Parts: sequence; structure tokens; C-alpha cells
Amino acid sequence: MKKFASFLLITAISTSLWAQTKPAADTTATDSLMNALNKSEPKDEPVIATFKSTRLILGSTTETVKKNNLNFLVIHRFGDLAGSQGGGKTFFGLDNSSDIYIGFEYGVSNNLDILFGRSKFAQQIDLGLKYAVLHQTSDNSSPIAITLLGKAGVKAYTDDIAFPTFGDRFAYVGQAIIARKFSSAFSLQISPTFVRHNSVFPYVFGNEKDMFALGVAGRLKVNKRMAIVVDYAHPFSSFRNNATGADAFYDPLGVGLEIETGGHVFTIVFSNAKAISESSYLANTQSDWGKGQFRLGFTISRMFSFNKDKKDKKY
Amino acid sequence: MKYIGIILLAWLSIQNQASQDLYACKNVKIDLFSSAPIEDIKASTTSGTSVYNAATGDIAFSVAISSFQFAKSRMQEHFNENYMESDKYPRASFKGKVQERIDITKNGTYPITVTGNLDVHGVIRPRTIQGTVTIANGAVSMASEFMVKCVDHKIDIPQLVFKNIAESIKMNVSATYTAAK
Repeated sequence: MKKFASFLLITAISTSLWAQTKPAADTTATDSLMNALNKSEPKDEPVIATFKSTRLILGSTTETVKKNNLNFLVIHRFGDLAGSQGGGKTFFGLDNSSDIYIGFEYGVSNNLDILFGRSKFAQQIDLGLKYAVLHQTSDNSSPIAITLLGKAGVKAYTDDIAFPTFGDRFAYVGQAIIARKFSSAFSLQISPTFVRHNSVFPYVFGNEKDMFALGVAGRLKVNKRMAIVVDYAHPFSSFRNNATGADAFYDPLGVGLEIETGGHVFTIVFSNAKAISESSYLANTQSDWGKGQFRLGFTISRMFSFNKDKKDKKY
Repeated sequence: MKYIGIILLAWLSIQNQASQDLYACKNVKIDLFSSAPIEDIKASTTSGTSVYNAATGDIAFSVAISSFQFAKSRMQEHFNENYMESDKYPRASFKGKVQERIDITKNGTYPITVTGNLDVHGVIRPRTIQGTVTIANGAVSMASEFMVKCVDHKIDIPQLVFKNIAESIKMNVSATYTAAK
């Protein structure tokens, strides 16, 4: 019994010695348990902020407006900077506006948006849906993001020759936007597009009602707040390819600087496309960069949140 | 022979005791809050992890930056992309030692002081943080409130938006532990 008690004593002493002289062993135990806990976390997190705004310059990006948020867009395109319509007499196009777009995009869910907008160009009213089908993930189990866009537009202006019936005023756009964020600074997307105008647009003999187009757009961050953006589209249309001289068509191309502040995204761009709505700029860009028929433009995107956090708002 | 058996038994009991003193929590609740002139910044997560070794006082916390949920999704995006750069620094962690010896067999609430290293945004700072430990019938829980200064961890606040963001963030951490095997 005494022996046993002495052994207990030794055990107790050795325990305390163990604790005092070998804390490293216990630290390892803490560390290994910590590592085990953190290993079980999923690594396939969705990649965020592939683009900073739902629209880049010309077209839409894969980004959607998140649930209960409202994105308010003001997009403006001035007149030709140079060429016959530009120069000093129009103060380099600033006296003219080729298109003004007011848009609202509301997030029904994190992946589904309802879009509404009105353009000055053709006085078109657009209604659309945007759905994020696939998100890029950090472990590359999904290397790309895919967003589908469908839009219907109605040209409200009076032109009885071009639009004998109301149905002729409609234009439709279907687009699959495929994007990849290659690094934290560089994102690229391509967007195969189908465009239909019920009445040919522009209203010229030989023009096609349906056509395909392909958009390519990229964003390169220069610092935390600013990025250089480029947006290009090519319509596949034999009518547009064959048109020459004053009736020639050109591929829309925009380059710009995107500046992000707290709740706003500003984009300052130069673009040859006059129109802002997809169905219009893809079908009807007759301005040539080479002739100075490009314009200054800007996009302002302001995000409003309707998520319940009212108590914390101070205004 | 008998000796060896007893020594072995004693050694096993030490081992056993050591593992019994390890406590883990997989759902540490962490809130961050800062008051700024235009709008308050508020986010929380319940997916932090923590390990507490009651025998040695070692304590560790870790949390994925991207797990913080904001009411405003754009604020959440900015938090991850512009401020915390969670693609480069995916986790914030703290590793330290509880200075006081806590007897986990006695119920009660004890104030504690923890010293260690706080790793936020890839910048490690030695910190001494106050908190409390509550023991209720063997269940161990911890709570702490402390400030994190953005400058301390090289979290840049651009001049353009400085009104939106406070220079220091109040953190609330609470964890309820279960014994780990």
C-alpha cells in the first residue's frame, strides 16, 4: 500500500514535471488538433469579384446583383469626339449625347436578377433576366463562371414604316457569358450572343433579322481601386460585312478606366458604339474609331441594399 | 514486472489526462463592429475554430475571412477583396497562452488574460487580450472583446472612402468548448 502511494506521488510529480519541462509537446497537441479542425472546412469556395460591376463597358458581365440589392445604373455616351460630327464645334462631342441609359437591376436571389432599363437610342425599353448558372471555385473544380442573360426590348419611338405592327418593335437578346478570374488582377470573359429584331434594324433592304455575335471583354486591375477595362464584340452578319462606304458597319470596341469607391463603380470609357443596349449596339454600330467617330462615355453603378440592417443605418 | 506495469499505467494516465484537458470548438462566434460617420460596419461568423488546452493554458483561434457575413453584399465583397485580401490571407488566427490557471472542475466565471500573437491580414502582432472563462458543470466557454487597429495589420483605407471606415474594429469572440478526444 505504501509502495503504491509512493508511486502515486512519483506519478503526480512526473506529471507536473512533464507539464513544466515539456510544454512543447502540448503545444503540438493543440496545433495538430487545430489543423485537424481547419482541414475539414471546404476549399471549393466561389471566386468573388471577377468583375466589379454587372456591366463592363458595352456588355454584361457574369456578376449578378445579390439578393435584395438594387443596382441603379446611369450610362451615358456623348457624341463623336472627332470626325465630321466632332471637334471644337460640338466641344469634342460633349454637346451631344448619342445614348443615355437608365437602368435598374434587382437581385431576386443571389443568382437571379430582374433587369429593367430605358435607352435614348431608339427609345428602347428593355426587360430582362440574368441567371448565374455556374460559379468559378477557388479549387478549380469549376474553372469558369457562366451566367445566362435574356432580354426583350421594345422600340417606343414612332416610325410607322419600320414597324407596321406592334410586334415589329421587339428585339431579343440571348447571351451566355463565360468568365474566368485568372488572377486577383485579371479577369476575362467571352459571350456568345444571339440577337433578333422582329423588324430589321437598321431598317435597310437586305439587313438580317437574326444574327449571332461574340463578345470578348477583360479587366486588368492596376491598383485596389482602379482597373483598365476593354470590351469588344463582333457580329456575324454577311449584310454587315458586305456593307461599304457610308453604310459600313464596324465592330463595337470600348476601352475604359473603372474606378471603385465604397458604394459606387464609375467607368470612364471611349467607345465607337453609340448605343448602350445590346440589341442596338450589336446591330447598329456604324461609327469608326479610325475616323474619329468614338465618344467619351461613363457608367455609374450604385448599389442599394434592402437587407434588414436598418438599425445600424445612420441616415 | 510489477513496476513496469505500474509505470506503464502511470504513463498512460498522464497521456490520458493530457488529452482530456484538450477542448475544441468548431463554431466560434466572432462579431466585428465599427462605427463610422456614414454607416456602421457589422459582420459576424459562427464558423471560427478554437482549441484550448486546460492543462497548459495554450489557446488557439482561427477563422476564415470569407466566412464573415455582412448584411450588405457589396460591403462583404470589399471586405474580402480590398481590405482583408482574403485570397492572399484566407485566415486570421490567434495563438497564445492563458496566464491564469483555470480549475475546470469548479463552476464559475473567471477573468483571464491571454498573451499571444494575433495574425490578421498576414501581419502578426503580439497582443495581450482580456476575456472571461465560464465553467458550468465541466462545460467550458470563453468570451472576449478587443480592438483591432487597421494600421497595425497594414489594412489600407484609401482616402477616397475614409469616411466609410473606422480606423479600429471592435471584435467580439465567444466560444463554447467540448472535450476533444
